[in-house]
Amino acid sequence: MLDLKDLENKSLYILRESYAEFKKPAVLWSTGKDSTVTLWLCKKAFYGKIPFPIIHIDTTYKFKEMYAFRDKLVKEWGVDLIIAKNEEAIKDKCSPADGHFECCTRLKTQALMKCLDEHGFDALILSIRRDEHGIRAKERYFSPRDSEFKWNYKDQPLEMWDQYQSITENKTHTRVHPILHWRELDMWEYIKQENIPAHPMYFARNGTRYRSLGCEPCTSTVDSNAATIDEIVIELRESKVAERSGRAQDKENAFTMQKLRALGYM
Amino acid sequence: MNINVVIIGHVDHGKSTLVGRLLYDSDSISDGRVQEIQKLAEEYKRRFEFAYFIDSFDDELKEERTIDTTGVMFKGKHLYTVTDVPGHKEFIKNMLTGASHADIAVLVVAASEGIKEQTGRHAFLIHMLGIKQLFVIVNKMDMVEYKEDVFQQVKTDVTQLLASLGYQDVPFIPGSAMEGDNIYNKSEHMPWYNGPTLIEALDNTKLSKEVKRLRFVVQDIYTVDNEKVIVGRVESGILRKGDEVTFQPSGVKGKIEKIKVYQDEIDKAEAGDSIGIIANCLPQRGDVCGPSENPPVTTERFLGEAVLLDNRLEKGDMVELRCGTKKAKCKIEEIREKLNSETGEVIDKQPKYINEHEAATIVFATDPMVVEEFYDIPELGRFVLARDRNIAAGIVLETSA
Repeated sequence: MLDLKDLENKSLYILRESYAEFKKPAVLWSTGKDSTVTLWLCKKAFYGKIPFPIIHIDTTYKFKEMYAFRDKLVKEWGVDLIIAKNEEAIKDKCSPADGHFECCTRLKTQALMKCLDEHGFDALILSIRRDEHGIRAKERYFSPRDSEFKWNYKDQPLEMWDQYQSITENKTHTRVHPILHWRELDMWEYIKQENIPAHPMYFARNGTRYRSLGCEPCTSTVDSNAATIDEIVIELRESKVAERSGRAQDKENAFTMQKLRALGYM
Repeated sequence: MNINVVIIGHVDHGKSTLVGRLLYDSDSISDGRVQEIQKLAEEYKRRFEFAYFIDSFDDELKEERTIDTTGVMFKGKHLYTVTDVPGHKEFIKNMLTGASHADIAVLVVAASEGIKEQTGRHAFLIHMLGIKQLFVIVNKMDMVEYKEDVFQQVKTDVTQLLASLGYQDVPFIPGSAMEGDNIYNKSEHMPWYNGPTLIEALDNTKLSKEVKRLRFVVQDIYTVDNEKVIVGRVESGILRKGDEVTFQPSGVKGKIEKIKVYQDEIDKAEAGDSIGIIANCLPQRGDVCGPSENPPVTTERFLGEAVLLDNRLEKGDMVELRCGTKKAKCKIEEIREKLNSETGEVIDKQPKYINEHEAATIVFATDPMVVEEFYDIPELGRFVLARDRNIAAGIVLETSA
């Protein structure tokens, strides 16, 4: 296994670099395991008090339990929460029936764009990992988004030896990916080691569980009897099922994820 | 142990195929992914390619070439992070990004083609990056009927190229990533070869790291419970509570009163640790801290070697130089020697400028800052240059030029 201490050390370094280099960063939180670990890493990096706001993109399609989990943790950790919604799309009754690409773009990407515009954030800390998806595997730790919010994946910055490019001219913002190098298994081992709150939906009930959490209509369970963190760790060591196999937007067609991400999706 | 391996070599010599093969044979691919790739191959009306496990952009698949670097993990005796890099010259920037954290490089040379432009350039660049462990895969042996004499010829040529860069006794493995020969499983097609497969060679690798003198870089100063916490990372050596330390270029001195990791206090921290320290002095972001009896030395002029990844760099240009957490204003004072980035040979002295993908030894005049010689403390002996973007990468040859 990867040494959790090494993974954490690098993440803390990245978080502190982003806070030092950008004027107005913010961190995205879906309430899922990855971004909850990132919040925990922020607490560690900044000695308890996260010095920037936390953005939750509310598509209104999240599971009820996710909202409850969110509100509980906000209270316990005392964080500064911003809820981002694309009210116009919600009014239009935008839904997955319009197609995953359309729905994710309007309810997530555009909600995020509006929030960014309103608050003027120049850096967004996101919890994507290389092992989740081939397109995410191509990312940099600091990944600029151009003046139109787009990811120019054909011309990414030189990023060597933890010298992350933080130049903000002609960029709407820079994406910061502090856990890019972690694997799904590492996440769970770390959650256990640090005793980080994890969503009950990740644990098996009646032979199924969620491996990745998203919007209710587009997220499905995997067969599993792993009802504790230890059992999840054992399951992941053996499993050959992809983590995001229950996420519809990844699979619509081969390049939906690339197109979504090029436009600014997470 | 986690080992970072970068796969390098000329375009179409089979780097992505090799990485795909390693993942496939080590059973590291999820079930859904194999089906996805099969479907994709049908869509493109092509044969199933192992490279498709790695190449993810539609442009990469359509054009059958890797554009950007990818890191994947698989398990052998060690846990490997394998980095695939593009083989085209126009993507050297991405190749360097992928190679910069590698412990080991695997140079892929197609038996059917031998040395090509990026074979030399990639070897030169990983040499500059200080990657000492290197293996050569003579790939596509299936295309030369697994003939030993072809392997020997390529081996002779590549050995000579590598020797000019200072690589001696490099192991060569004949193989075929496409057919699975000597990558993860032993080949039955080359009875004349008795050496290890690639995975055996990797599994037998030992990495050693010397403990050097203490260097800690300052990222920031936070106020926590009315205390000033100096946060940063130990780059080399060991930092202990009670140490007398000096921060440069600020020049402040103090004693380490506490080492803090979140809510815990620890007595010592080692290379790689992200920590906070409390000391009776106030340094700045960009400072480097070392023991007061052997403190870091501030410099304003040093000799480095760099490779350019932007249009042109001229003598007299002002750029930003980044080393550790320091960003310094920097003037290109003198371009001493231009190097052939395929062989390392000197091709020009005192040129006025260098162009994209060219390398040179350069005298840099900077704001006061701390750098170390690369062979001594690599973590503080490497730097990037930036203008409106990161444009070059380099190493420090002499701290006083």
